[in-house]
Amino acid sequence: MDRARRVGCIAAAAALAATHAIRFAPPASAAQPPQSVQSGSLVEVANDAMRAATAGVDFTGEWAPRFHEDQPERVPGPELGDYLGIPINASARMRAETWEASIQTLWEWQCRPHSADYIWRGPSPVRIWKEVDPVSRQVTAWHAEWLRSIDRQIYMDGRQHPSESAPHTWAGFSTGRWEGDMLTITTTHLKEGYVRRNGLPRSDQATLTEHWMLHDDVLTVATIVHDPAYLTEPFIRTTDYELDLHQHNPPYPCEVVEEVDRPKGAVPHKLPSETNFETGFAKRCGIPVEAAKGGADTMYPDYRAKLPGTPATCVAAPR
Amino acid sequence: MSTRDVIALGLAGVLSVSLAAQRGAQQPPASARTIAPRDLTGYWVSIVTEDWRWRMMTPAKGDYASVPLNAEGTRVADTWDPGKDEAAGEQCRSFAAPAIMRVPGRLHITWQDDNTLRIDTDAGSQTRLLRFGPPSPAMNDSARASASQSRSEPSHGEPSRGEPSRGEPSWQGNSTALWETRGGGRRGAPPILTGSLKAVTTGLRPGYLRKNGVPYSANAILTEYYTVTHEDDGDSWLIITTVVHDPQYLTGRFFTSSHFKKQPDAAGWKPTPCTAR
Repeated sequence: MDRARRVGCIAAAAALAATHAIRFAPPASAAQPPQSVQSGSLVEVANDAMRAATAGVDFTGEWAPRFHEDQPERVPGPELGDYLGIPINASARMRAETWEASIQTLWEWQCRPHSADYIWRGPSPVRIWKEVDPVSRQVTAWHAEWLRSIDRQIYMDGRQHPSESAPHTWAGFSTGRWEGDMLTITTTHLKEGYVRRNGLPRSDQATLTEHWMLHDDVLTVATIVHDPAYLTEPFIRTTDYELDLHQHNPPYPCEVVEEVDRPKGAVPHKLPSETNFETGFAKRCGIPVEAAKGGADTMYPDYRAKLPGTPATCVAAPR
Repeated sequence: MSTRDVIALGLAGVLSVSLAAQRGAQQPPASARTIAPRDLTGYWVSIVTEDWRWRMMTPAKGDYASVPLNAEGTRVADTWDPGKDEAAGEQCRSFAAPAIMRVPGRLHITWQDDNTLRIDTDAGSQTRLLRFGPPSPAMNDSARASASQSRSEPSHGEPSRGEPSRGEPSWQGNSTALWETRGGGRRGAPPILTGSLKAVTTGLRPGYLRKNGVPYSANAILTEYYTVTHEDDGDSWLIITTVVHDPQYLTGRFFTSSHFKKQPDAAGWKPTPCTAR
């Protein structure tokens, strides 16, 4: 092939590739920019286009939570017996009914961080940064750290999740991939946690899918929990953060102290029969007891047909 | 002409054609429907896992939890009287664009034409029209409202050319839409469609952010971002981030995000009228 024809073919191929990249933001698994970038080479222009098409977006920064959804649950804490809109099964409900809030005064619980699935919903700012390979300059991991949590890593280097017998942690094991500018994260190996801070459990068999979406200066994170032990359907929540360049996550040293005098080995708990929905949150708010017990059907709009036409009767006081 | 120049020219030529859709440049622009990076059409059902007490039921008067109301907003909310709204024929106050995505129900999204995305809701029987085209002044107003600390790239690279008002204020207002983009690489590489839709709505008739009279004003600016996901288990989610900017009644921007699950068909679609109670 002579030089002129060769140049023409290269140009045509590059143009087609670029056209495709522009019209269709890359689908799943468009993970990283091309490996070989030859500065000043003939293919640099094409590489520029491809790099722009596949590099995702930079989430680096300080993000302030906006509690414009579920503030009473997320900041002061949820009501006991409020399982509204959560697709729990009977086992989860029974676990929650035996939960006693003072369990959090135990040494083992006092410094316990929220798990990766719940932490987005917690009352805490988050700092996000990226880890960049010094040679290839590819993003090999994202890190997220909240006020009261450990450094959470999301691997972007294509590694596999460990075996089932590997340790489970609060952060779990997370890998990410780009879908356009949306970062999709899969997390396994979570310790047992909770889906609401009133005793609703989430098992260590659960998996978590996250979608991080950056729109202007707003970060929206969707979390989808699959839990074969305690959920009958995927449990999705979406939470918003606002970029705050003045934010700084301070140190959060946590010391264990004796908060309550109790016999050694005692674990605060209730028996299921001791939970009285008839006199609790549901009754006070004029919400049907069956609704307060949660379950998948309570999260669908059709459930409104089972609700009274009268307004709720409680007002969430600022706490 | 060097080999490198030949490649650059080839790229530039094709890229300019591809971008005509959003840049309104030399070529007849491709339609928003043609270049859509994600398919938003179909039936979607809201999954109410958040704000249940304030969405599935009518909240009690005075229950404004989570909403950043200022003193004037609180004062106005405290005057809520659904009977008066009914008498005035204003039952749709809580079904307007700033609130409709939080109302439990189903969406039916279709292309009304090649540059207009239509969203019908069964709750309240509302219709929203997201019109693609030149960015309106409100696009820039919204950007300014949010840009005090913004460091992300603008969603489009062109200055506003303005857009005439589309009539009287209405519950669903006037919505201008675009596919979000981000800038390219060096040497002015063209922008890339990122997969999300941005819509800015103005021209709103004053209404409620919540059914119990939490107000927004006629000057409110609504900015929304629509993203579709595809899950490994076959589910597909529509995630809508909603930002309401209304200094008259709010101390700051009001952020919510709502999620809808893709439905295979129209099962469950049940149009109902607006209600004030």
